[in-house]
Amino acid sequence: MWWKILSVFLIVYTLIAGTLVPLKPGVTYVFPESARSGEQVVLQLHGYNSFYTKAPANEIRTWLQFDDAHAIKGDNVRVLNDTTLEARFAIPTELPNAVASVMLNAIIDHPNDGVSLLPSAIEVAKDTIASAAAWQANAISELHVKKDFSFPYRNVIYESIRNTYFHVPMWFVLMFLFIASAWYSVQFLRYSNPAQAATLDASKGQSLIDFDRKAAAYAEAGLLFGLLGLITGMLWAHYAWGAAWSNDIKQLMTAVALLIYLAYFILRRSFDEPEKGARLAAVYNIFAFASLVPLLYIVPRMFASLHPGATGNPAFGSEDLDNTMRMVFYPAIIGWSLFGFWLAQLRFRYQRILDRATGLD
Amino acid sequence: MKFFQTRIFFTIILFLTISLPTVLAQGNRDYMRETGKINVVIGVIVLIFLGIVFYVLRLDRKLTKLEHQLKDDKNEWTN
Repeated sequence: MWWKILSVFLIVYTLIAGTLVPLKPGVTYVFPESARSGEQVVLQLHGYNSFYTKAPANEIRTWLQFDDAHAIKGDNVRVLNDTTLEARFAIPTELPNAVASVMLNAIIDHPNDGVSLLPSAIEVAKDTIASAAAWQANAISELHVKKDFSFPYRNVIYESIRNTYFHVPMWFVLMFLFIASAWYSVQFLRYSNPAQAATLDASKGQSLIDFDRKAAAYAEAGLLFGLLGLITGMLWAHYAWGAAWSNDIKQLMTAVALLIYLAYFILRRSFDEPEKGARLAAVYNIFAFASLVPLLYIVPRMFASLHPGATGNPAFGSEDLDNTMRMVFYPAIIGWSLFGFWLAQLRFRYQRILDRATGLD
Repeated sequence: MKFFQTRIFFTIILFLTISLPTVLAQGNRDYMRETGKINVVIGVIVLIFLGIVFYVLRLDRKLTKLEHQLKDDKNEWTN
């Protein structure tokens, strides 16, 4: 019983912390978005969730950065409001490398808000090309770090980074439930052997038919969470990637995996003798699980994917999940998993009562 | 009861699917993209909630059926 209460507690914690903790400040865009070398540009920087007025303007520093060694510093910083800054940049007559134009990152360092960055914020074009010392005069240093409890700011996804606590745990629950389902299928086949069946301890509630019922119930709950993961992923994708279904390798492989599990239920119900159906379904379930791991965890890493952590990395890199996110993400996984097991158990207990009432047990 | 529940549930789903896109597309405002796409998170939470409610309702319906069955003569049970 305690773990059911724990699951509710953790999910409520996830809902509250996951939705109410603010994001770190970020930069959404700058204006103008292009300039020519040798120009004096007054750049407007637009912040997200920022509080620029909370510090004197002369303590706010801004840079346009080319790489770690090349950047120019803005002067005359003016704070227009909490989310708008103006800074003047004297763009050098020459570019830091031998190309016709460069994309520069905008960096704001604020004593309270910490550092925020917009990659490729402004394009600077140039006619003559050479390397210049002006780019190295003002190195970026002594940056402030915002230390309060807040989630990272990411361009394009913004607040929807919080879906990490709702969409991603669905897949963890699916995995745990399918592992449990495969485990009970193995148990079922193991104890199908009459010699082994004699060792089942009825006083502990062990019975062959229960293994089959549990395998089915856990697979069914796993499928529910898989469908939820797929649907929530499509909603998120619509607003983060531009389309609900973009044939991303992970989307495709997940759909295949869910169809494989759907077939498990059809197979299980398509026999007149329940025992024969149970045995074949158990064998199929083990194969389904064996195909689930490559489909969800191996194949998606071998191809380019829109998901983070594709092409060889673990599903989450250190950039995708910081320590404040971990404090919500891990409880979310535990909470949703326990909840998934709870649902599966209810389904199993219903099936057992039904079978007993109808004389099948 | 069974018929009642299913109807209520699908009425809610139908209402949401028909009315939400119309409501969200009022004028030039994009409710899902403004305020940092926070409404996408709300949408995801609502979808998860509805999915779980759907599963629980299905189980509820099965239990109701079983309850009725247990009241009747067991021998009449056919599945």
